[in-house]
Amino acid sequence: MSEPSAAAKTAQKRAINRLKSMHQLRNLVAQDYLETLKASNEGKPTVWAMLNYWEGDLPLKAMGLNIVYPENYSTLLAASGVAEPFLDAADSDGFPTHMCGYGRSTIGYSYRMMKQLNGQIPPEAPLGGMARPTLLLGSGIICDARFKWFQALARYFDAPEWCLEMPMMGTAEGTEPDLEEYQVRFLVRELKDFIAFLEKLLKRKMDWAKLEELTDLAIQIHETVWQIGELRKAIPCPMHSIDFWSSMPPSLFLAGDMKLALKYYRDMLAEVKERVDNKIAGINYPEKYRIVFAELPPWHSLKFFDNLAERGWNFVYESYGYHAPRPPDLSKVTDPLEKIARLSRNFVFGIHPYAKAEGVANPIVETYLLIARGWKADGFFLHPLISCRAASAGLRAVQDQLQKRLDVPSLWVEGDIIDKRVFNPQETLARAEAFEQTMDHYKKVRKAKGLDW
Amino acid sequence: MAIAISRGLSAARQIYNERGLRVRELRKGGKKIVGYVCIYPPVEMFTALGLVPFRIFGDMNEPITAADRVSTTVVCPFLRSIIDLGIKGRFNFLDGIVGAHTCDIGASLIIQWRDYVEDAPFTHLIDVPHTDHAAAVDYFEGQLNSFKRHLEEFAEEQLTDEKLKNSIVLHNRQRSLVRDLYELRKEDPPLLDSVENLEVLVAISSLPADEGNKLLQEVIDEVKDRKRKPPVRKARLMIWGPVFDNTSLYRLIESTDAHVVVDDTCVGTRAFWADIKTPYNMHSLAQHYLVDIKCPRTYRQAEPAETRRDYLRDLESRFGYIKKAITDWGVNGVILQSVKYCDTHGYEVPNLRHYLDTLGIPSIYIEHDYSERSLATIKTRVEAFVETLD
Repeated sequence: MSEPSAAAKTAQKRAINRLKSMHQLRNLVAQDYLETLKASNEGKPTVWAMLNYWEGDLPLKAMGLNIVYPENYSTLLAASGVAEPFLDAADSDGFPTHMCGYGRSTIGYSYRMMKQLNGQIPPEAPLGGMARPTLLLGSGIICDARFKWFQALARYFDAPEWCLEMPMMGTAEGTEPDLEEYQVRFLVRELKDFIAFLEKLLKRKMDWAKLEELTDLAIQIHETVWQIGELRKAIPCPMHSIDFWSSMPPSLFLAGDMKLALKYYRDMLAEVKERVDNKIAGINYPEKYRIVFAELPPWHSLKFFDNLAERGWNFVYESYGYHAPRPPDLSKVTDPLEKIARLSRNFVFGIHPYAKAEGVANPIVETYLLIARGWKADGFFLHPLISCRAASAGLRAVQDQLQKRLDVPSLWVEGDIIDKRVFNPQETLARAEAFEQTMDHYKKVRKAKGLDW
Repeated sequence: MAIAISRGLSAARQIYNERGLRVRELRKGGKKIVGYVCIYPPVEMFTALGLVPFRIFGDMNEPITAADRVSTTVVCPFLRSIIDLGIKGRFNFLDGIVGAHTCDIGASLIIQWRDYVEDAPFTHLIDVPHTDHAAAVDYFEGQLNSFKRHLEEFAEEQLTDEKLKNSIVLHNRQRSLVRDLYELRKEDPPLLDSVENLEVLVAISSLPADEGNKLLQEVIDEVKDRKRKPPVRKARLMIWGPVFDNTSLYRLIESTDAHVVVDDTCVGTRAFWADIKTPYNMHSLAQHYLVDIKCPRTYRQAEPAETRRDYLRDLESRFGYIKKAITDWGVNGVILQSVKYCDTHGYEVPNLRHYLDTLGIPSIYIEHDYSERSLATIKTRVEAFVETLD
């Protein structure tokens, strides 16, 4: 594909109607990287953490630690176009090439830092890079890679590691009512042990007042972000997936100053509400197709969504694992650790009790069926990843059941989160054009069957 | 047992080649057959309730077709093969299937089964924590108690302490017999080859525990009485990695100047290295399956909550048992094999190879897609590797 002209680039940028409030949220993440570098230079402890749905974020923040998230940083490497050499470095150190793209780029980054640059940050790293960690926080949540790749980093760093636990839920066994209390007790016990570990490592005590304050902020952030997601059910949808992905780190990772994050999300809520009231879409073209994206996007090729926006494709929901479901009522919970346990558990699995009515066993499938109805999807953009099992394994069943139960068709596009060499935007665009006829057809089929979209 | 036209190794080969033979017969006689995936569902609980545990494997020679509707190609082809066979009705002799959250895809297999496979209406998925933290062991015990209640309903029988204890004794006996079987391979040349060994292990996972124990004893006696010894070969190899349920890889290796004398795989030794410890109860089951079984799916540290990590000590704590096997079986080379897309084993590869380097043991890593065809390309690499060994 030839390089677009400057005028064309401008036109592409305008295809998606970006929310103004998104920018300040996106900037919070950049501040985290800079502050962590500063802390590291001052000899203060710094943390590399996995996505943990606040289970570990809140205790870490309450202890005053600076945190970066390698999986988030990997998206920056991909978006900056510098990921491939890090992937190659991981390969050269013996890691199989089919492993998680986030993991391989982090491993490659660590290899370069510790084996080639004597502990210095790679100069090509965007945003100043990730500071060398003094603590690694792995997590068993969602996928195996999240604890295995940090364990593998012992090869480069002598930083101690803690691995957080989270019960597997969303299954028939995991949603039995009597299990909830039992799971919460397990999480509380794990949190107590984790905090004892942190206190031993840092040689200082937990600031419990701070922990409560941050937990309450997290609850308010949760409530606000959930409300934004609900407003996206409007026709036209006021917020495109690109804005969700750009603004999610302060809610997903609690990145940045949480008070600021709450303020900015409230700004976003107001802006989205205003758009709903005035029927303003998240794209600057008439909303012709309402699309749900599953599961993780091609971070290296986000401009591709402009091409689809020009055709009237509005991405109304995405990556359900990144969305906080309806917040639980925690007003009667007094123990701060129990509050975190319930909050974190709800973030990961709170959607499933609502989705069970869809009548399938697969928690991913039931959730996307629920989302298809709620957000009135005309089609799904399914993006199986060569390097991610967790985000890809269930997509064939999602495709099958969406078609079978709701007559919602899917566009199947193979790619990767990090490695742009396996994504073909031209071919995908050609297929997307053909897919519009399929969506048009099934819109009529759904209407004929009495479905309301 | 009615199918035992032959005994010992012949019977093992017969069952290996037709795994459902005996359990179909038992089912006709009124027994319930419960399939299980991986080594984490506690088979002791099945046996205690009179259920016949049947380990589910894939089929390397059956092209995956039906599973394409429900499963993407970038996940473990072994597990894809199982769901494929399930959809095709290959497991129509099962009354139930039990899985465990041993890995993400292993867990999703049971979920897919519920939506896409008509056979085996009883299903249960056991949540297995990722760490061996004390809290995790207790949580896992609770999961096993939950499974117990579900299994009792299915079996229409109470799982009493006495029944559990008797069953653990029986299965510990099986572990002990398997270790005796491996003892036969310590000699040089080994008295039992790796193809025969795998046939026996697959066979006992297709039989009730008491019948499996009888078969093991027959095989051990038969091999000890053998007059003919295999030739001495240059290499004594260990095989490491996830499930490998087909003799093809072992045939390939044994066709070179090498014997495979021991393994660290989940069809091989992993389920049998350690006994369940006394007192026999649900807690000891939890301790055994979560802590004592050494599989990369569980996160381990040299010391709980250690505040400083020492890389070599970390390696020793995770792989020290492999060093002992290398010494005890006189291993001079290790083949790390893995099915493609296995994350839990894949992340282990560079660190384990480094550990083996510190021991002065050469190693190679081979990856396959769980088809016999993919193994053909591996032979040259194995031959070259064996050539390099002292």
